[in-house]
Amino acid sequence: MSCDHDSAHAPGLSRRAALHRTGLGLGWLAAAHLLDTGSRAAAAPAPPTSLATRPPHFAPRARAVIHIFANGGPSHLDTFDRKPRLEEYAGREIPTHLPTERRTGAALPSPFRFTRHGESGLEVSELFPAVARHADRLLVVRSMHADVPNHEPSLMLMNCGDARLVRPSAGAWVTYGLGTENQNLPGFVAMCPGGYPIKGPENWRSAFLPGAFQGTYVDTKKRSVEDLVQYVRHPLITPDAQRRQFDLTAALDREHLAARPHDPQLEARLVSMELAWRMQFEAGEAFDVSREPKHVLDRYGDDVQGRQMLIARRLVERGVRYVQVWHGEGQPWDSHEKLEQNHRRLAKESDQAIGALLDDLVGLGLLESTLVLWGGEFGRTPTVELPGSGTDVKEPSGRDHNHHGFTVWLAGGGVKGGTVYGATDEFGFKAVDKPVHVHDLQATMLHILGLDHTKLTYRHSGRDFRLTDVHGTVIKEMLA
Amino acid sequence: MRTAVSYLVRLTGAAAFVVPGPAWADAARDFEARVRPLLVAKCQECHGAKVAEAGVRLDSRRGLLQGGDEGPVVVPGDAGKSRLIAAIRHTGNVSMPPTGRLSDDEIRVLEEWVIAGAPWSGPGGDEGAPSPSRAEEMAERIATARAEHWAFTAPARHTPPDLAPTFPDDMREAWQAAPLDRFIATGLTAAGLAPAPPAAPRDLVRRLFYDLTGLPPTADEADAFCANPSAAAYLALVDRLLASREHAEHWARKWLDLARYADTMGYAFDAQSPLYPFAWTYRDWVVRALHADLPYDRFVTLQLAADEITPPVPREDLAALGFLTVGRSFLGNTHDIIDDRIDLVTRGLMGLTAACARCHDHKYEPISAEDYYALHGIFASCEIPEELPVIGDPPAGPEAEAFAQKLSELRQALTDHEAAVHVRGVREAVAHAADYFLETARPAKRGGDHRPPQLGDGYDLEQLVLDRLTRLTAKAEATHPILGPWAALRGLADGEIGPRLEALVAGWGEAPDPQSVNPLVRAEFISARPSTLRQLAEAYGRLVARVAPEWAGGTAPVPEEPAELATLRKLFGVEGSPFVVPRADAMRLALRGESTEHRRKKQEITKHFATAPGGPPRAMALVDREHPIDSHVFVRGNPAKHGPQVGRRLPQVLGGTAVDRNSSGRLDLARAIVDPANPLTARVLVNWAWTHHFGRGLVETPGDLGLRGAPPSHPQLLDDLARRFIDDGKWSLRWLHREIVTSAAWRQTSAGTAEALARDPDNRLFGRANRRRLEWESWRDSLLAAAGTLDRSRAGGPGVDPLALTSMPRRSLYGSLDRQDVPGIMRVFDVANPDTAVHVRSHTTVPQQSLAVLNSPLVVEAAKQVAARTAREAGQDPDKQIVATWRAVLSRSPTEAERMLARGWLAGIGDVPVPADFGSSERLAQAVLASAEFQFID
Repeated sequence: MSCDHDSAHAPGLSRRAALHRTGLGLGWLAAAHLLDTGSRAAAAPAPPTSLATRPPHFAPRARAVIHIFANGGPSHLDTFDRKPRLEEYAGREIPTHLPTERRTGAALPSPFRFTRHGESGLEVSELFPAVARHADRLLVVRSMHADVPNHEPSLMLMNCGDARLVRPSAGAWVTYGLGTENQNLPGFVAMCPGGYPIKGPENWRSAFLPGAFQGTYVDTKKRSVEDLVQYVRHPLITPDAQRRQFDLTAALDREHLAARPHDPQLEARLVSMELAWRMQFEAGEAFDVSREPKHVLDRYGDDVQGRQMLIARRLVERGVRYVQVWHGEGQPWDSHEKLEQNHRRLAKESDQAIGALLDDLVGLGLLESTLVLWGGEFGRTPTVELPGSGTDVKEPSGRDHNHHGFTVWLAGGGVKGGTVYGATDEFGFKAVDKPVHVHDLQATMLHILGLDHTKLTYRHSGRDFRLTDVHGTVIKEMLA
Repeated sequence: MRTAVSYLVRLTGAAAFVVPGPAWADAARDFEARVRPLLVAKCQECHGAKVAEAGVRLDSRRGLLQGGDEGPVVVPGDAGKSRLIAAIRHTGNVSMPPTGRLSDDEIRVLEEWVIAGAPWSGPGGDEGAPSPSRAEEMAERIATARAEHWAFTAPARHTPPDLAPTFPDDMREAWQAAPLDRFIATGLTAAGLAPAPPAAPRDLVRRLFYDLTGLPPTADEADAFCANPSAAAYLALVDRLLASREHAEHWARKWLDLARYADTMGYAFDAQSPLYPFAWTYRDWVVRALHADLPYDRFVTLQLAADEITPPVPREDLAALGFLTVGRSFLGNTHDIIDDRIDLVTRGLMGLTAACARCHDHKYEPISAEDYYALHGIFASCEIPEELPVIGDPPAGPEAEAFAQKLSELRQALTDHEAAVHVRGVREAVAHAADYFLETARPAKRGGDHRPPQLGDGYDLEQLVLDRLTRLTAKAEATHPILGPWAALRGLADGEIGPRLEALVAGWGEAPDPQSVNPLVRAEFISARPSTLRQLAEAYGRLVARVAPEWAGGTAPVPEEPAELATLRKLFGVEGSPFVVPRADAMRLALRGESTEHRRKKQEITKHFATAPGGPPRAMALVDREHPIDSHVFVRGNPAKHGPQVGRRLPQVLGGTAVDRNSSGRLDLARAIVDPANPLTARVLVNWAWTHHFGRGLVETPGDLGLRGAPPSHPQLLDDLARRFIDDGKWSLRWLHREIVTSAAWRQTSAGTAEALARDPDNRLFGRANRRRLEWESWRDSLLAAAGTLDRSRAGGPGVDPLALTSMPRRSLYGSLDRQDVPGIMRVFDVANPDTAVHVRSHTTVPQQSLAVLNSPLVVEAAKQVAARTAREAGQDPDKQIVATWRAVLSRSPTEAERMLARGWLAGIGDVPVPADFGSSERLAQAVLASAEFQFID
């Protein structure tokens, strides 16, 4: 019996192997593969195992999402939901007092001035002047509500559609449903400077979906591209030297494939090597904001928020499907105390960068096809949080968590700009007019992306799971 | 106008007085014209004959009246009480339909129809056959499934047909001996196909090593087999590998995927560490059990009920219980933990997706909500012991002493902290005793959060103390010698209290009987003369302070105390009295900071167990609660909504036998699972092993053998193998592996003929081997094997950094896995999600995998080590170095063409500068490590 390694493998040349041998490189194969995958995806219902682009259920309004996560729970009462009645009741008990995480007392009027902006006359507080420039593009949803007043379950609800059970994140669902447009970049990027938010990578997990759909975490506090993107560069040798090495591997692989024709797995692996090679450069380039002209950097602000919003823009420009931008490690917006100082600082950190991001999306014509979502996991109480046994708050100067009513805003992606949807009660405690549950927001977001939230499912454990579980209503009134 | 009436009706429920509008004069016509179309278009897709969400059917009047899990959805004539109306108006807790609110007109139509008495005509009306009750329907589904579904009857032996005359003659001898092969051959012949030829020895030996041990053969081992690839040599090699510990390690990792193993509990609050310090003892137990070829029935029984077995099992075997306990902790939510365990046991071991019945009867499978809660009771009757049982001796010597010493210090610190909280909490409660008295009589208005009030000095009244005082004072009557005056006066207005108290004091006289009034109480009233409720409360507050423990601001008892002081002390000053809460409840008085500190201190103990050397190993055990309980059905999965109570038992589809009443019943559950008559267990296990050997299952939904699962491609083969696994193999996994890897089917080449590829592209008939990419663990282990640094000698022990290559040259199995933060590179390479029982991992191909191959420190480090190894073995001669590299990385010598290619490459790469520690031999090594051949098994 022969012991020649390749004896069992037919020496016949596949169409592709033949092309390699005739001098057409891997680049050609990569392109062919992508085309292939595209057409295959339209016909085959098998669950996707690659990041190749897949068609939506119906014509989409947007093809990408930027979710700016003001983690910790920004106060709607001090930003986008003005409540004059709180001034009337300042220092007094208000008639409706709902249970939240901690003890709260009398009404706390907002220390911030609200003014009307744009033709729509949308009211925005002085905290967000740059965002307010885009008032006519914002759809402010003032009637959001969630289930409980605690960070962990509310983060899970907002990101994964379930407060406790292990479910995939919205970004993973979207990437699973649509693939991504640029194979040289991850399809779903989660940026958070300085470390993880509360609940860490659970916020961008893929759970029972294949790992390829999990968000790629990037610590945007870091500056160098090598630190931002894992494995983007060979740690020891230059691209030139590495290219030589890569060529040898490619030559060996071509021989290997030639002896094993008709194997889609090996072909896909070959393609993915070529893609990875290019990814090194494209990912490096995408995350390298130093390539932007100075006037652009100045508009965003040369700080963490400026850099990460700029990266967000560069990623969406390059076809990344889902970008999440967290304010920072932990729960920065959680102003139980000294709300005035804290909210002023946090808004100042992010306003300029968000405004510049919106400017650029408009300027580049990308806002139409990009849904921007800003908000936290919940809002804050109209009543002041009291010091006492359930808290480490020393002085009554902040607000507790409030899941009964809060605000998020959306822009782009065909949403109805310059409008307010829904309302909280006269004190801003509870969503009363046209309440929007988190599941409704998720259903609407998927709808904007051309996905039917009841049809984007994955069979696991004997049943078809979806982002919105058995809930969620698409709110067509939000769409222009 | 009618809308206004309807609205009024909803508020008052006064439906009887409302006469429906003229539109309802002809009920049958109006129903058909206006209502039925709405119900059909908007409701019946989810609430009809095919699907009845929440048990509700809206396709018959009976369906409306019978309703669903939560009762009727329509009360004829009463829109206000009809849940259907609340749902479409979005005013209740359910909003329907989920696709969007009905128009106002549509809502009005349905509302009027309900007010008109919900008249129905035609199909679905009262005249129609009654729809069966939910229970009857379920019973019928179960009976049908047991009678008709292939997986619910026990597998039987089958005799495979002889090879067909058309079967290729040259393969006849190899294929006719084993039943397994004849089943496969039959399928191929029927499709007009022939099997692939046997794999070349070099492919076969590499495949066998990877399949059984997860590691490559060395080049010498592969050469030795190629020199003598006889049947006897092959069998000897199979037996050698099956007996190796490497084999047990490799298959243990697959089992750990199924057991959703991780070394952490998931997300933990504040200061808590999420580490499970002893998860590794379960991992090591699995390795030992597989290495000893523990029969599968025993293997499962120990993992479910090692603690319930009599006579008691050796203590090491308690570690098996980690199967149940290494799951996510869901921040302590009991019902989620139980759900996770139910899914593990039913889907993991039996391919039964019972966890779907948590909220309602399974929509597709014959599993009722009662079945689910019958299992729920079994796990609700268990708990993790406060202190995990020791299952081995601590290492002898000074380390063990230091461990014990430090442990007792940490425990003392925890006790001290609890004591300090107790002192502070009680002291403050005593100091505010008057406020507590006042609050019991005249409670302050509470906010929406229902918390007890905060006092002017910032002190929050404690609900615990308030409840205790309320209980005491509520039962005191006016004749009570101490609390009597309080009971008599607390309900009065302030103006009346002074005069009434004067009267009371006067009534007592100068020397009253201590049985009617305690002299100290009388003296207090005489000196203070309280005239308001607050003053009265303050008087009681002073009495409390007088007899409170000395450490809480009171006085120490003296010997032979006067009787009046002793009785007062008994009421207010001893542990267990309202203000002096029991020491065990101390942490219920803790301030936020004190609670954090308490968790931190407990954490230090856990961390000590986990990280300090010298401690004994412990089992992540589960024990039965003292009083086992039966669970109630939770209506729609909501623990606050109790349905009927269900006795602990097996699911009806498996016979429904009750389990032991005196324990949780886990042992009975385990026995039922591994009962040779259980139709599911052996099929699931055999299919699981088959899937990992062949890269494709006989059933392609390995966790779902139910009605919605995929049917088996070779039903007789699956059943015969499952039956023989039990009867002939006596549940031996080694028997099963041997049966498979010695088959001709498994030994085919992976190169398919063009015809086979065209006719059976997915290889559902197993007419060739499936080429496979190495899983993460095998890939990393192979990097170490290529580098020659793999440390096979060290097995077991606490997990270590899963990505380290030089500092941890141990098999990937021994890497510590944080389920909260599985490293990106591992997720990208498709490692199992540790939050759910995984039978087979997903297989993706994404560029991030290749990026890791090109640039990860793991591969770069391995390349350096391979280069160092080849330099040692082959010196500086380029030809020898090329050969050594190939042999180290690919377990074979290069072909002549490859040698020439590499030679030419080495000669031409000198013109680009590289660092000294990554020269030509390192680059050669990485180029070969990055090849497809290294990562794929033919």
